[in-house]
Amino acid sequence: MSLKGKVALITGGSRGIGRAITLKLADEGADVIINYFRKRSTAELTAQEAREKGVSSHIIKANVGEADKIDSMFDEIEEKFGRLDILVNNAASGVARSALELDTRGWDWTMDINAKAFLLCAQMAAKLMKNGGSMVSISSLGSRLIWPIYTAVGVSKSALEALTRYLAIELAPRGISVNGVAPGAVETEALKMYTASKDLPQQSWQKTPAGGMVQPEDVANVVAFLCSEEAAMIRGQIIVIDGGLSLTSVGVVSIASDEGDRSV
Amino acid sequence: MSEELSIEETVKKIASRILRKTDINFSPTTSFKDFNADSLDIVQILVAVEDTYDIELDDEELQNITNTAAFVEYIERKVAEKG
Repeated sequence: MSLKGKVALITGGSRGIGRAITLKLADEGADVIINYFRKRSTAELTAQEAREKGVSSHIIKANVGEADKIDSMFDEIEEKFGRLDILVNNAASGVARSALELDTRGWDWTMDINAKAFLLCAQMAAKLMKNGGSMVSISSLGSRLIWPIYTAVGVSKSALEALTRYLAIELAPRGISVNGVAPGAVETEALKMYTASKDLPQQSWQKTPAGGMVQPEDVANVVAFLCSEEAAMIRGQIIVIDGGLSLTSVGVVSIASDEGDRSV
Repeated sequence: MSEELSIEETVKKIASRILRKTDINFSPTTSFKDFNADSLDIVQILVAVEDTYDIELDDEELQNITNTAAFVEYIERKVAEKG
């Protein structure tokens, strides 16, 4: 697998899962454009790490929840690179509230960054993918499983996955592949903040059937594969990366053990 | 904007716009929660302040700031450090 000479944009590419994807794509030879929201110093650090792998790197500040910021970001990409081969839609944010506590501001903020941004970025990126390309959306198992106070993010990720399928078919004739990945709980600072905010239990995530927690690098490896020629016949798919955890019935087992053996 | 107004006045203007309130006053005894700010309001205030002064605020340092007067002092320090 080689991505040598490709130009890749990773939204939210400076830290966590995004950072791992940035560095993996750089490992495979891609020049990387790191979009970041607030922390320039963190973005510069990741860009430096990428350059040490022998590729070029560039950072762009933009809140992808705002359409005009996305426009400016792609204007800069067109001016500096003239084209784009890979788009990884990774930037994410969200208001942590239950469905009954959600207000429209929190809903819009979450949907704009997690779902609408992919539509707008894909529209702009497709124009720069003159010789085909790859797009990968970073979803979450929260799109189909129910996690506490994850309502807005979970719904936004469902929309993101549907959009991934629509784009996959619409862009296929242009030689652009579109797929997604849906990680389970990944060991990042964002997960620590999410669990700490409501003292959520972590033990169920800490050991998957594959052993240990999913790491950012596990996600990055799949993303890089989906961007490669070897994955050319995979279209519109959402690859679950959770060490098999979602195939088990951890929650059911937990309830059963609390309430006694009800097997017949 | 920042050339015409003091940092305190500018931050107050930003907070008033985001919190949709006209009666915001910064003091050692008030926090943004007293103005019913939620986590999204706080993020939007931080981003607006960072963009206005082209500075980077440290989330860990912000954790130790418990009132609005200290917040303004922190911004003033960050702007001064930038030079």
